[in-house]
Amino acid sequence: MIVADRKPMEEILAMLAPYKRVLVLACGGCVTVCVSGGEKQADLLASQLKLAAAAAGRADVQFDVDCITRQCDREFAAMLKKPLDQYDAVLSIACGVGVGFMSELAPQATVLPGLNTTSYDASTAKGVWQEYCGGCGDCLLAETGGICPIVRCSKGLTNGTCGGTKTGKCEVSKDMDCGWYLIFKKLQAAGKLELYTKVRPAKKWSKDRNGKGARRLTHKELMETEEFSK
Amino acid sequence: MRDVDLTSAAMAKLTGTTELLDREWAPCRNACPVHADVRAYLEAAAAGDFVAAAEIIRRDIPFASICGRICHHPCEQNCRRADVEGAVAIREVKRFVVEGLGASAPVHKAILQNKAAVAIVGAGPAGLAAALDLAKLGYRPTVFEKFPVAGGIPRTAIPKYRLPADVVKQDVDWIAAHGVTIVTGVEIGKDKTIADLQKQFAAVLVTTGLAKSRTLPLPGADHPRVLPVLTFLEAVAFDQPLDIGKNVLVIGGGNVAVDAARSAVRLGARVQMMMLEDEQEMPAWWWEQHEAKDEGVTFIHRRGPVEIVVKGGKITGLKHRKVTRVFDEAKKFSPTYDDADQAVAACDAVILAIGQMPDLGFLAGCDVKPDANGRVLFGINKATHETAVAGVFAAGEIVTPPGSAVEACASGQRAAKAIDMFLSGKPIVLNDATPPYIGTIDAQTADKLIRCDRNPTPTEPADVRAKNWNEFEHTFPEPTALAEARRCMSCGSGAEVVVDKCAACQTCFRVCPFDIPKVTDVARIDSALCQACGLCMAACPANAIVPKGYEPHALRDRVKSAVGKLPAGKKVVAFINGFHADAASWTGKADPAPAGVAEIYLSSISRLGPAEILAAIEAGATGVLVVTEPAGADRYPTTMRKAHAYVTRVRTMLKEIGLNPDRAQLAVRTAANRAVVVAAERDCMNSLIR
Ligand SMILES: Cc1cc2nc3c(=O)[nH]c(=O)nc-3n(C[C@H](O)[C@H](O)[C@H](O)COP(=O)(O)OP(=O)(O)OC[C@H]3O[C@@H](n4cnc5c(N)ncnc54)[C@H](O)[C@@H]3O)c2cc1C
Ligand code: SF4
Ligand code: SF4
Ligand code: SF4
Repeated sequence: MIVADRKPMEEILAMLAPYKRVLVLACGGCVTVCVSGGEKQADLLASQLKLAAAAAGRADVQFDVDCITRQCDREFAAMLKKPLDQYDAVLSIACGVGVGFMSELAPQATVLPGLNTTSYDASTAKGVWQEYCGGCGDCLLAETGGICPIVRCSKGLTNGTCGGTKTGKCEVSKDMDCGWYLIFKKLQAAGKLELYTKVRPAKKWSKDRNGKGARRLTHKELMETEEFSK
Repeated sequence: MRDVDLTSAAMAKLTGTTELLDREWAPCRNACPVHADVRAYLEAAAAGDFVAAAEIIRRDIPFASICGRICHHPCEQNCRRADVEGAVAIREVKRFVVEGLGASAPVHKAILQNKAAVAIVGAGPAGLAAALDLAKLGYRPTVFEKFPVAGGIPRTAIPKYRLPADVVKQDVDWIAAHGVTIVTGVEIGKDKTIADLQKQFAAVLVTTGLAKSRTLPLPGADHPRVLPVLTFLEAVAFDQPLDIGKNVLVIGGGNVAVDAARSAVRLGARVQMMMLEDEQEMPAWWWEQHEAKDEGVTFIHRRGPVEIVVKGGKITGLKHRKVTRVFDEAKKFSPTYDDADQAVAACDAVILAIGQMPDLGFLAGCDVKPDANGRVLFGINKATHETAVAGVFAAGEIVTPPGSAVEACASGQRAAKAIDMFLSGKPIVLNDATPPYIGTIDAQTADKLIRCDRNPTPTEPADVRAKNWNEFEHTFPEPTALAEARRCMSCGSGAEVVVDKCAACQTCFRVCPFDIPKVTDVARIDSALCQACGLCMAACPANAIVPKGYEPHALRDRVKSAVGKLPAGKKVVAFINGFHADAASWTGKADPAPAGVAEIYLSSISRLGPAEILAAIEAGATGVLVVTEPAGADRYPTTMRKAHAYVTRVRTMLKEIGLNPDRAQLAVRTAANRAVVVAAERDCMNSLIR
């Protein structure tokens, strides 16, 4: 599922500064599932925006909340309580797909992103989502024991490991697992090391990955941690 | 679980009602013969609102004081908490609530009481319950009672160590205050006949109960020290002198026999009970058996009486024989004996407590005829309380098999409905169907609940109580009554999923401490298992979960109105976990909160999420204080952790928008007293800048 994380508040406030009538538009799809862009998050964000506006002495602004089943399907747009172009701005808290699609469906409306869309994830534990797919368009998982080298190798190599692997860790950061070491161990355990030694032709990259390894989204309140910090 | 999924379209139609979210009945209510709303009155009591609790109790239970003492409490027998660690002590909570209000119990009279006059024969539970309902419907009931006081068996036979006379009087007076005329000292069949009543009244209801003791044709049974049980108990109830000697033998193994035995103990006698049944077969409640044994009563099982041995005009013993079986293969009462095995038990008085039967004296001068068992004969339709004589009805134990006071009340209430239909010229059709109710709790869910043992009823030590007529059980003190009411799981009040909003995200399943939500295409929450903690409601990202029995936005509305009432200046909303709080705090009668603080008590803080906290700030609160119990002290396992996490989350959110994070604070109530809460509120207030 697509995972997205809320944009920093300063960025949202700056984006919305010129507008008076704003709709916070939630999506009932992936971003509800990853607890970033559901109706409840829209309520919370609208609450924050109202409080921020009040603190800034702006009495002229209005924040509404709406939610449709998915912002990436044309038919669900019919669920909207009001047409989007009746607002000065729509802060969509769907993934980038929803933002883009809504602005395409309502060309007169100003649709702005409330989230940063990050990755394709699985929910690995309560309150934790982790990236499993690089979305490269040319899936390699059959040869890598199901571990995505685009995601897990900081260099996105399709023929690893590189010389920088050290006791299972990546040279980029000693806190980060070496993706190709993980693949090696997995194939070894499965008795399929011939897949490891196979040489794959170089992948053609049309876009750069940022090389930070698996990205994580965490929602503290959903994690099983005890700490309480001010 | 609902048969039909709840949708947001259906929710949208819910204007000002919770109709779609109505809670199913809990089994306690279904099992109660008058279907008292146990869950509702326990909830009110748990929130310290004893007046509201008493109102709910009195709505259905006419003999609330009496039932608080002596009800056989089928509610408790069916309480789902019994499958966790012990049924809620429902009767004791009721006793506390009703006793607290005492004679000041609110009376809701019919606005106009100008309908037909109805005569009722017998002022026992059935007669008075019928009279009350008829009066509430606007009829003018008059109850005739042969004894000089009203109350029936509870007044004339149930011994005062279990049920003092003034407790009975409280209920009788409360019923009379509804416009019920009670005429005592008038025996129908002797002082007046049913025919007389038929001339004066539009309808007559016979509720004369089982006023006579059954006897045994034993040799020696005509001796003056052979006492029929009701004769004995009535003499005890009215403090009449009794000659029972020093060594009493009670024949019988039922609750009435136990009452006689324990009364005889209090008269200073050594007491034995002899019965056909063994320990398992005997009909007396197990707790009555224990209480009698503790008071020194000895039980002789599986023996049948043969002869009362009288020597020189005095009873010297009871000859008895072995019982080889009590019930036949079809479980029908059909005792057989071994005459070769006989013995004599020494005694100098015998009480015959082998059952009661109707006293048909009231039939003199009336066409109503009893059936072969001495019960009042019905007309064609057995379900309508009609007798063979038009306009004459019957209810209570004269009709039903012997049972309990509350069952007799239910029968009386039913008859009142029948009489209302009859007098309104409608066909008598009584519908006994009850709404659906939830079943027992499943073992897996029961396993996950925090154990919370039933509070024992305060009881006088056996050696002390056996020597006096004081009540042997005492009313719970307030903290115990509160703790006990809070053991109720509010069965059936749980979460409901609005399916078209659900994204099947699994969050509800993940946060539920009891693993109740089942998420397939959408989440479904079985209300029979849900514990109504509200943790999933606070967490659901789709806002797809709503609580049953409440307006979906009730809490936010409450906060808004509370903040609106605070004076200008700094305002604090304190959400307080009320699981251990006293009644005065809950109801705002304790020492006042510091100026500017609005307190919102919740049965658990688990229902509170970031949205509710932020909503309070949005509503105008300068600060929000969340007061929790220490970890593990709440009714739900994860409340504390969630409260910490949610307050932390709100603090971050406040910081993000440049507001002081201290506007959301958490305090752990380290001791279960009000001073700690007030101190936390004051600290919170003082720490706020604006
Ligand atoms: C010793 C004993 C202990 C019991 N303990 C319990 C208990 O702990 N818990 C419980 O729930 N139940 C108990 N019961 C059962 C309970 O008392 C009865 O189920 C209930 O009282 C029946 O109510 P009723 O209105 O049908 O009859 P009753 O209570 O018998 O009332 C009938 C009334 O009619 C009057 N009457 C009779 N004939 C005439 C007449 N001709 N004219 C005028 N008035 C007349 C009688 O005097 C009496 O007041 C006990 C019963 C007995 C005998
Ligand atoms: S726990 Fe409460 S609601 Fe549930 S059965 Fe017992 S008394 Fe009734
Ligand atoms: S938390 Fe809400 S959206 Fe998620 S599965 Fe449960 S009901 Fe559905
Ligand atoms: S979290 Fe609480 S309210 Fe929700 S399903 Fe579980 S027990 Fe019920």
